[in-house]
Amino acid sequence: MDLDRTTTALLTGLLDPANAAAWELFDRRYRSILVGFARNCGLKDNDAAEIAQATIVRFVEEYREGRYDRTRGRLGAWLVTIARYRMLDMRRRAGTARVERGESAMIDLDDEKSVSEVYEAERRRAVLAAALDELKTRSRTDPKTVQAFEMLVYHGLSVAVVAQELGMSAHDVYLAKSRVAAKLREIVIRLEEEYEEAPGDWESTGKRPSAGLGP
Amino acid sequence: MELPAGCGKFSREALELAAIARSDRSVPVDERLAPHLVICRRCSEAVERFAADNAFLGEFAKVSARSDRSASGRSVAERGAAAGPADGSAAAGGGDLIPGYRLGDEIHRGGQGAVFKAEQLATRRACAVKMLLGGRFASATQRVRFEREVEVVAALRHPSIVTLYESGISRHGEPWFAMELVDGERLDEHVRRLGLGARAVAALLQRVADAIAYAHRRGVIHRDLKPGNILVDRDGVPRVLDFGLARAERPDEQTNPGSGTTLAGEFLGTFAYAAPEQLAGDPAAIDSRCDLYALGVVFYECLTGKRPFDGAKSIGELVIQKTMRTPERPSALAPGIDRDFDVIALRLLASDPSQRYETADALAEDLARSLDGRPILAREDSLTYVVRRNLRRHWIATTAGVVVLATIVVSGIALAVLYANAESARERAEHQLDAVLAALEQSNPETGRGTSDMRATEFIGYVEASLEEALADDPADLARLLRTMGLIHLGFEKIDQAAAPIERSYALYKEAFARGEIDALRMADAAYALARLRFIQPAGEAKAADYPASEAAYREAIALRESVTGRDDLVTVDLIRQLSIVIRRQKRLEEARGMLDEALLRASRLPATRQREEFDAAALSARGFITAELGDHEQALAEFIAANAAISRVVEPNDFRVGISLRNIAREKLSLGRAESARADAERSVEILRERKGADAPATRAAEALLDEIKSALAKGGREVESAGEVESAGAAGSAGAR
Repeated sequence: MDLDRTTTALLTGLLDPANAAAWELFDRRYRSILVGFARNCGLKDNDAAEIAQATIVRFVEEYREGRYDRTRGRLGAWLVTIARYRMLDMRRRAGTARVERGESAMIDLDDEKSVSEVYEAERRRAVLAAALDELKTRSRTDPKTVQAFEMLVYHGLSVAVVAQELGMSAHDVYLAKSRVAAKLREIVIRLEEEYEEAPGDWESTGKRPSAGLGP
Repeated sequence: MELPAGCGKFSREALELAAIARSDRSVPVDERLAPHLVICRRCSEAVERFAADNAFLGEFAKVSARSDRSASGRSVAERGAAAGPADGSAAAGGGDLIPGYRLGDEIHRGGQGAVFKAEQLATRRACAVKMLLGGRFASATQRVRFEREVEVVAALRHPSIVTLYESGISRHGEPWFAMELVDGERLDEHVRRLGLGARAVAALLQRVADAIAYAHRRGVIHRDLKPGNILVDRDGVPRVLDFGLARAERPDEQTNPGSGTTLAGEFLGTFAYAAPEQLAGDPAAIDSRCDLYALGVVFYECLTGKRPFDGAKSIGELVIQKTMRTPERPSALAPGIDRDFDVIALRLLASDPSQRYETADALAEDLARSLDGRPILAREDSLTYVVRRNLRRHWIATTAGVVVLATIVVSGIALAVLYANAESARERAEHQLDAVLAALEQSNPETGRGTSDMRATEFIGYVEASLEEALADDPADLARLLRTMGLIHLGFEKIDQAAAPIERSYALYKEAFARGEIDALRMADAAYALARLRFIQPAGEAKAADYPASEAAYREAIALRESVTGRDDLVTVDLIRQLSIVIRRQKRLEEARGMLDEALLRASRLPATRQREEFDAAALSARGFITAELGDHEQALAEFIAANAAISRVVEPNDFRVGISLRNIAREKLSLGRAESARADAERSVEILRERKGADAPATRAAEALLDEIKSALAKGGREVESAGEVESAGAAGSAGAR
């Protein structure tokens, strides 16, 4: 089973407490999304980190206890629900103080739709970042092509400067950009599927989470 | 793959520009192109495609601008499950590991990250790039810490503070930042290489103090000052770097410690340079004076070549050693050092922050004064006071350090359980647990070197609560911890606090033993703890100890041990001694004496170790009590004196057992009408017990009562007085029993 491939495989892997690879991947994939998401909901950095940690821990518990409710929808929606309650909780504890200190108000956590949108944006960001990573490490794209792309896109350098810096023709720089765009598109489309699957896919694994699988 | 874009009539660049112009009207477009696009399908499709690419790639630009400037080349999985540090060769090989920089050789690697030489491509300037290596469990915290680091350092501009240029964070927890490249060497190496004298060292420290004072005035505490974080450049100017643990002193974090990056109990600094209050892990207690303490360690080290507290082999040992010992004067280690420097160094190293310099400015001022030959402001006569305060606070600091260690271990175990990962993590956690238990036992006045202190017991209560939570799923470890905690409470004679953990641990052990999960020796440990509890715990309406229950538990422990160790085992023999006391309390004097003689005989066949001396002393004392109770005070006195001699051979002169044996001697002397001689013994006994057991402890109060009795006997002209009621601890040689 290729863990990297599908969320289904990943979730099945998580049922086995000894499956370190699944844990590694799950943590790697979703922690940063959750931190960014909580941050964009208006939390300070350290609070956001705390929410991410609590959400992951809670997710693990619920998941192992087989409490995944398919009507809640996709994995992301599940995480959002957990994280949103955690943040509401945190706001209840600290909310008054925040207002008194005149800090920027948090996003309206009672508005499920906008909270989901924040998560969605953060997930997209994570997908893009993962795509970049894959482009650079596993796509066998010529490093110079990648470098040209980075200088153009990241640093906003002009084609002429990039061409000079890398000893390429302007035409090749443009070509590099087109190639990278095509490659990234391909990767992003695939990753979009990997990061989010419809709950129906669960049934195909033939395995349901069961209780009592704790370490 | 791609053919030249469009029909070839217009350049690729022209078509690209047209695409860019769709979203950015400031971009100039070839005027002839617009009409051409209307008629040329290939060119208009090319422009459409470029525009779509630009929009798509624009998303990535936002990703990078937000937080991912690095997009490091390697994933966590590729680095290995343990999230080991990235190795230098890989980083150096990948010229594009960090966009805009060409990484060179690795300069330094520490616990937090690795530093590389680098070139900023756009400016061609040389700089240092530090990569923060994300730990698997701590990545979120470390990331927050990193962002704080950047925020803090970027705000500082001082000739002795290293300037920050730029930073970025990868989503894999490998943030980086680029800073000024300092061509220099570590402060301690600089001092050693040039063989700098005390005055030169003081001059360097004065400049560092200036820099720290500057940062403090901006609300920035470094919190990780050490020789490795102070480089001396080619011009001989010390430069402070790596504000990795710095935290802006903000009011909201003071009032809301939970939101600070330093959570209670989480200790980040380097132990050797950390102030005692940093060891306590209490964010509210950490202020700019932590940096002064660290500067004190740095100063001391540079003056003498040694750290003030040195020689530990593990973190636990370091915490204990560092806080239990008073540093020697620097001049005692390196003759010829100005006395002013002694005063300044020891003042910086005061355990109590209020005894240090008020500010780094004040330190800089005193260093300047001493260099100019003017009198320093830290007065000479305060030195004794500083040292005395140090002694006073050692114990508190030790306990705090233990709490910190325990917290680290607790979180380690909790994570290991949560992630249920490899055996090795589990084993590591257990090793740490052993270390903490050993350290905790040091905290027990009966087994270690502690004295009674309310703050210490509060700390232990805190540890207990955290451990209970963390180990809820792990009854065997929980039972072990509860037992240790309970015994420590007993050592402090806090019986109420001791009862619950000991009873709970006994029940847990019993279940585990029935399931075959633990061996007889560990079950015996649990029975022993229960026996000790029952021996001193007031129970029932009479509020008297439940001696039969204690006896039963001792007998259980002894039988369990003998089933494994046979008869020749000192721990078992000592349990028999303790049991004899329980028997004596039930007025079965002859039975108790026979039991003791048997125990002494069995011990005499064992090698004469320190533990055996301790046993002999305790057994002779116990025999003395029986002899006294049988009315032979002359013989009892002889036995108590023998016990005192035995224990004095193996422990420090102010050990609580010496105090108790002196009390026993004094009581027998009083019984024999030698009140004058008894008085000196009783006074010394009270002194020791007050220090080691605390003023409120029953043992201390009994000694005080005896002393009062002796005084009143002396006042009445040496009239014979009835013997004072004896109080003693069954676990007097406790170390032999608790294992």
